[in-house]
Amino acid sequence: MKKFLSTALMRGLFWQFVGTLLGAGLITGIRAALGLSVTDKFFFTEPAWVLGGFMGVLFFLGGNGSVSDWFKWARGIDTPEHHEERYSGWEKYFNVSLDHKVIGIQYIVTALLLISIGGLFALIFRTELAQSQLQFLTVDMKLFGQNGPQLYNTLMSLHGMIMIVSILLGIAGIINYVVPLMLGAQDMAFPRLNAFSYWVAVPAAVLLLMSLVLGGFGTGWTGYPPLSARAPVGVQMFFLGVFTAGWSSILGALNVLATVIRMRSKGMVAMRMPIFVWAAVATSIIALTATQLIGLSFQLVMFQRLFGMGFFDPAKGGNPVLFQHLFWFYSHPAVYVFVLPGLGVISELLPVFARKPLFGYRWVAMSSLGIALVGFVVWAHHMFTSGMNEYLRLPFMYSTLLVAIPTGVKFFSWVATLWKGKIVFPTPMLFVLGGIVVFLLGGLTGPPNATVSVDLHLHDTYFIVGHFHDTIFGGFVFPFFAALYYWFPKATGRRMNETLGKIHFWLMTPSFFVLTFGMMRIGLLGMRRRIVDYDPALGFDTTHLILTIAGYLIGLSVLIFIYNFFNSIKNGEIADGNVWNSRSPEWQVPSPMPTHNYDQPFEVVGEPYDYGLPGSKYVEFAAPAKSKHITKG
Amino acid sequence: MSHILDKSSAFRQGVVIFVYLAVLTALEYFVAVTFQAVSILVMVAVIKAALILYYYMHIYKLNEESDAEAHSYSFKTGTNRLGLWLFLLSDSFVFAGLMATRVNLLGLTRPHLNQILGLAVTTVLLVSSFFMNRGETAMAHGDKKGFVTNVLITFVLGLGFLLGVVAVEWPLAAEEGLTASSGAAGAVFYMMTGMHAFHVLTGLIFLLVVLNNVRKDVYSAEQHWGVEAAAVYWHFVDLVWIFFYPALYLIGRLL
Repeated sequence: MKKFLSTALMRGLFWQFVGTLLGAGLITGIRAALGLSVTDKFFFTEPAWVLGGFMGVLFFLGGNGSVSDWFKWARGIDTPEHHEERYSGWEKYFNVSLDHKVIGIQYIVTALLLISIGGLFALIFRTELAQSQLQFLTVDMKLFGQNGPQLYNTLMSLHGMIMIVSILLGIAGIINYVVPLMLGAQDMAFPRLNAFSYWVAVPAAVLLLMSLVLGGFGTGWTGYPPLSARAPVGVQMFFLGVFTAGWSSILGALNVLATVIRMRSKGMVAMRMPIFVWAAVATSIIALTATQLIGLSFQLVMFQRLFGMGFFDPAKGGNPVLFQHLFWFYSHPAVYVFVLPGLGVISELLPVFARKPLFGYRWVAMSSLGIALVGFVVWAHHMFTSGMNEYLRLPFMYSTLLVAIPTGVKFFSWVATLWKGKIVFPTPMLFVLGGIVVFLLGGLTGPPNATVSVDLHLHDTYFIVGHFHDTIFGGFVFPFFAALYYWFPKATGRRMNETLGKIHFWLMTPSFFVLTFGMMRIGLLGMRRRIVDYDPALGFDTTHLILTIAGYLIGLSVLIFIYNFFNSIKNGEIADGNVWNSRSPEWQVPSPMPTHNYDQPFEVVGEPYDYGLPGSKYVEFAAPAKSKHITKG
Repeated sequence: MSHILDKSSAFRQGVVIFVYLAVLTALEYFVAVTFQAVSILVMVAVIKAALILYYYMHIYKLNEESDAEAHSYSFKTGTNRLGLWLFLLSDSFVFAGLMATRVNLLGLTRPHLNQILGLAVTTVLLVSSFFMNRGETAMAHGDKKGFVTNVLITFVLGLGFLLGVVAVEWPLAAEEGLTASSGAAGAVFYMMTGMHAFHVLTGLIFLLVVLNNVRKDVYSAEQHWGVEAAAVYWHFVDLVWIFFYPALYLIGRLL
């Protein structure tokens, strides 16, 4: 217990608490000196909470030691490129480590924690929706300064943003763990920045959760003004949290790009990179650049609230629709940030389990970049009903429909890869196939929403909710689980329980189909999204009850996964070899990986996915050199 | 390696580029006060930006072949350089977003601002970039004394710019009724100058760090990534102002 309390995580949280109090106290003191009000509904005033939240993040990072090397550099003190690992066992994961594999696991576990919290929120409001009328989120109840329907709105909004952050952390985790191994690099290009990118996400998650207790906010995860300009102080914590999490995403993406460009092993030319690396590059291009715009849009609302700056206030000559442009410039490409790595996982794993070359490698690689680039010019399809200029509708409709082409390339590649393959069905393959089918549903329900005439009717209905849950589950959740089952032996030297894995899959997949089909059904019949109650006369009660049951079953399946995940770390079946018979370099050496990855560098001598071609080789390891010490940088 | 000039020609190049930039700024101002051709103003800004990107920020260095040995200083500098440029690319999306906000909210109008002061701070920042370039060149040729002198001048000019905007321009504008809460124009003006001033401030801190490290003899003619990074960042801040100055002071008719 004492050891746990002195970990970097707990130190960071302690200092975040101190920083928050200091920042809030500072503003409160200044306000007292100026004769302004010093307390408000949630004890501190809004400016005090904002500075407090911000300083909390800074104190977290200063207090847990993830920036100490940079401060040494600024003072002209050099530090070794890699510190000796000071901790072992579980302590390693609660302290600041520069090893990309440790950071990858930190990301993944944090993502699983956030998925559980976001899922819990979903189950709470899903329960309320099981029947028409208000059952337990009633107008009379009070919690955190909110009545039932207000709490519903907060939970619904936080479900969205917490899931988004958990997805960003989840993909960062997989990319962090896998990409340097695939490239044959010792680590990421900037190990300290890598640690920073992870640790900055922790106070961000705390800020997001703080918004729940500080009055919440009823805006949905999109935070549109004017609603967000009038919401309780919780919305400011939400803005700060997203802003901070954004930095994690931006700096992580920067690191990935630099690593891929600079750290590839000998012979790994662009067209011989593993396909997952291409996906990571495409995703990072978006995350590096577009993320700034959601930060900016939320910052502008924050300043509008704090200083009365009228960016989005029509009374002051502002324009609320401008917010939607800035916001969606990131938030639409963001869904490609979520799904591209997942689609990369599908393309990466499919040849392994079909025992056949990946069909059309070049086209698949380019399709990731294609999706990323087209993704920059489609944002206003979220705004067909917003009152923006009408002449914008048509170009955005066509650019959106264009996304179907590179995505279609991927589907054809997958189908052709499976064709006449010697397919085996271990758990990761089940999730890969599940991902393909679910993403297909998401893909097929997309173009109707992109078409203006249809979207005008579907906008803000449960049809949209069903559609994007399909894309996110197919593009992220299923491949994410596939990746975890697949690379788990690499990280631990043990494999996860196959039976539990199959139960997880066969419980989650049908429940999920029921959930999204049900959502789309009532959506087409006119069920509004983001609403705590519905008219019993609409006749949706039965469907909603079934949806709620399906939601609980998905929750149960994820619980089984989490049990399996943590149980297998200690008790899983030993699997230290090439479990899946893969050609990828990380599987050619025993698991788990040592701290500095490969003992011997490797050279790429062939194509990555020539499964089933006799005598073909992807990588060749250099012969072990005797008594040659690896020089320390 | 053809880009490495000897010290005196490097200094000469810096002067020539500075003269170009000064002439273009004067042209910009002239166009703005006489016949208000937005396309010309945009073009001039793009040319100025290109000059700075190439001659002051040395963007071509991204292409330089570095030592293949993964632990060498030159390889790490190549990686660091790429990282810095990726960061600047990311950062430029914030400024582009602010620019889009300005275009959306104000269109072809602009707030009433003190023109003389605007031109003065712009000139100060441009001159600071010139001295930053001299400082970096001096360091690249092992001239630490020259480096310190030039970077100190850069620092003073940068501080002058920062105070000129935040301590002089802001109160003046507020006196004329342009406050943060007065309307869209005020909001845009304070947000754009404020975000830029924040970057100037971080640049100044960066300069102080580098100056301190030179005092501790951390850098040499061959190994001075910190100096290069501070210089590129400083020029980037100047680059942003090259677009913000016409957007706030020159383009459009007065509100």
